[in-house]
Amino acid sequence: MLFNSIEFLLFLPTVFFLYWFVFKNQLRAQNVLLLVASYIFYGWWDWRFLSLIIASTFLDYFIAIQLGKTDVSKKRKFLLVISLAGNLGMLGFFKYYNFFVSSWIEAWSSVGITMEASTLNIILPVGISFYTFQTLSYTIDVYRKEMQPTKSFIDFAAFVTFFPQLVAGPIERASHLLPQFYKNRTFDYQNAVDGVKLIIWGMFKKVVVADNCAFFVNKIFENPEAYSSGELFVGMVFFAFQIYGDFSGYSDMAIGISKLFGFDLMVNFKFPYFSRDIAEFWRRWHISLSTWFRDYIYIPLGGSKGTQWFQIRNVMIIFLVSGFWHGANWTYVVWGLFHALMFLPLLLFNVNRSHLITKSYGWLDFAKIGVTFLVVCIGWVFFRADSIADAFQYLAHLFELKSLGLSLFYKTNANLMIFALSALAVGILSMQELVWVIKKRDLPKISAFGALLLVLLIFFMGSFKNQMDFIYFQF
Amino acid sequence: MKQFLVFIGKIVLVLLLSAFALDFIYTTVFAQSEARNKVENVINSKPQDYDVIILGTSRANNHFVSELFEKEGLKTFNYGMSGAHLFETSLMLKLMIERNWEIKNIIVETDLNLSNEKRDDGTFGRFMPFLHKSETITNHFKKEADFTELYYVPFYRYIQFDEKVGFRAWYKTLLNEPTNTLANNGYYPLGHNPKANMKNNIEKLKPLRNRYFEEIKQICKANHINLIAVTTPMCSNVKGMEYFKKVKALYPEIKEYEHVVDGDEYFSSCGHLNDKGARLYTAKIIEDLFKK
Repeated sequence: MLFNSIEFLLFLPTVFFLYWFVFKNQLRAQNVLLLVASYIFYGWWDWRFLSLIIASTFLDYFIAIQLGKTDVSKKRKFLLVISLAGNLGMLGFFKYYNFFVSSWIEAWSSVGITMEASTLNIILPVGISFYTFQTLSYTIDVYRKEMQPTKSFIDFAAFVTFFPQLVAGPIERASHLLPQFYKNRTFDYQNAVDGVKLIIWGMFKKVVVADNCAFFVNKIFENPEAYSSGELFVGMVFFAFQIYGDFSGYSDMAIGISKLFGFDLMVNFKFPYFSRDIAEFWRRWHISLSTWFRDYIYIPLGGSKGTQWFQIRNVMIIFLVSGFWHGANWTYVVWGLFHALMFLPLLLFNVNRSHLITKSYGWLDFAKIGVTFLVVCIGWVFFRADSIADAFQYLAHLFELKSLGLSLFYKTNANLMIFALSALAVGILSMQELVWVIKKRDLPKISAFGALLLVLLIFFMGSFKNQMDFIYFQF
Repeated sequence: MKQFLVFIGKIVLVLLLSAFALDFIYTTVFAQSEARNKVENVINSKPQDYDVIILGTSRANNHFVSELFEKEGLKTFNYGMSGAHLFETSLMLKLMIERNWEIKNIIVETDLNLSNEKRDDGTFGRFMPFLHKSETITNHFKKEADFTELYYVPFYRYIQFDEKVGFRAWYKTLLNEPTNTLANNGYYPLGHNPKANMKNNIEKLKPLRNRYFEEIKQICKANHINLIAVTTPMCSNVKGMEYFKKVKALYPEIKEYEHVVDGDEYFSSCGHLNDKGARLYTAKIIEDLFKK
């Protein structure tokens, strides 16, 4: 079920009504309701997907219980390995099997050896990477004795499947979200109003910014050779805003919806396009994933301790794994590599922490923001292109600077109209976020009047055709 | 909670008022227009008399040269619409009848479109502004899965089909910006395209006993209209031409014209004749069906 669909418009008030009016002050019943609602929400795509998430839930629930019963190191490790193998095995099979098979065949064929192997017709379950990482965080935390295993299967299953963030995050830590299922939740007016405003803001980002930009992005990336350097530049910038509006819009809506039910989710984006270097970008972009990698891979690997080579290795691993997490395509790996290469100089010169989010902005910082944004945009070309060759071709045409013409955007009246809408939407988003960045806010703060204005903008400027899927669902 | 419900109520109220207002504004503007596309041209029309009306997809729109019929003294208009399915073709005919059009002959392109009973969103969207205006449209769309939302939720129809009846279309309609859709009495000539892909594969298509073609037959019979159902040409490099034999087996009354124009120089793409080809094809149709 998509957040921007009619079904969800009926689903959300129904669950809200049952939650606060029928099951008010009944913690267990509320959790059961959230679990059932989450299964309906997820099964709406394809009921067969439910079997996987239920299997993953059972696996980690029982593994954690067993972990809680033993202090024998070998047994604990064995249990952790079962959980990792089960979860990552499912993820690997459904997301990466075909990729590995075809990459294997291609690798051999490049040295002249022809191999035959069949790929499978596998449907990628929506959001599998998100809930797999969420359940894994639970088992690993229990293994590390950082939290106690829960005895309530319902609470755990509701945590794994919590519908607002199930398919595209934020990837919640068990230690943050799970305890919220144990406590009685009381309705808080201000919290709920803030939630609604976040939902509206997220919807604006999705249907006004992202979906309008998508019109030109799809056209340009489909056949970059046909466009001028100027058009390719705009296409690249529009994709940056498309993916940001799409993904952070979903996160805002997820956080907002959770607030309606008395839950607090972690902030996933802190205005990343106002970063002054790549290190800061990764402190602001998809925070739930980057901190997951930091806590469960980077630090266990040694983090920034040890020799310089050791640090470089860890950084490379973390960025490559992050790229690979996004999808079964070498383009994502190259995207990760690109970011690693942009990050490493900062690490080597020990300036990777010179732009902490809390640090105020000076005038020079705006030049740094521009450069960082450009670097991020170049990375997005790899992320968006169908193949690495396509990405290089795109960039080659872009930097040829043969023509800076922008005729695509005014070739027809329809194009001019969509371009104007997209540019206006990007402008509104950027100006508003600039204000919040300067005020050092973590989350958008919108007045009641602003919310009403946004509702009207969504109506007037929204692109609703075919209810475009959120890009990150595929991951 | 009460305070929150009031807050939500205010937002819903603003939303509803905006939706009703926008729905009203959009509908009013579209209701005034009759020259920007064929759907509104029929819906906002007064009673008309025609010797020949042509219906179908782009393979009707680009293949039947109205001018050649007119030269024979036959008042003709080509209402073929690119992308349209028989679902919309049948509705167009119903609307003409509802508006008391007097039609002697209807030529319906019935070939590849027989394989489909679903709606075409692009054409379907053009009917949206008139959903409440015509009972015929309402009844025709009633069985669609999203009918309730489209009919009852204000402005939803414009959101859902914004490519055809969204802000851009509304704005152009408001400015009364002309289109060339109705030029040449509805016929849209295609040029020669040297880069065109002159092959096609229609092996997977299967003609159906199409309920909307059945509807068209019934309407014509009830209104004493001479129905001429024809197939139209394809280029020579098509896999699955047996499709047309299946059409013939299913509907013996459909006249076979898929082979009457031969040679890639007469085609703009494999499924569409260029102007030169269309003139040959139309001349043959007139010769066979209107002169003999």
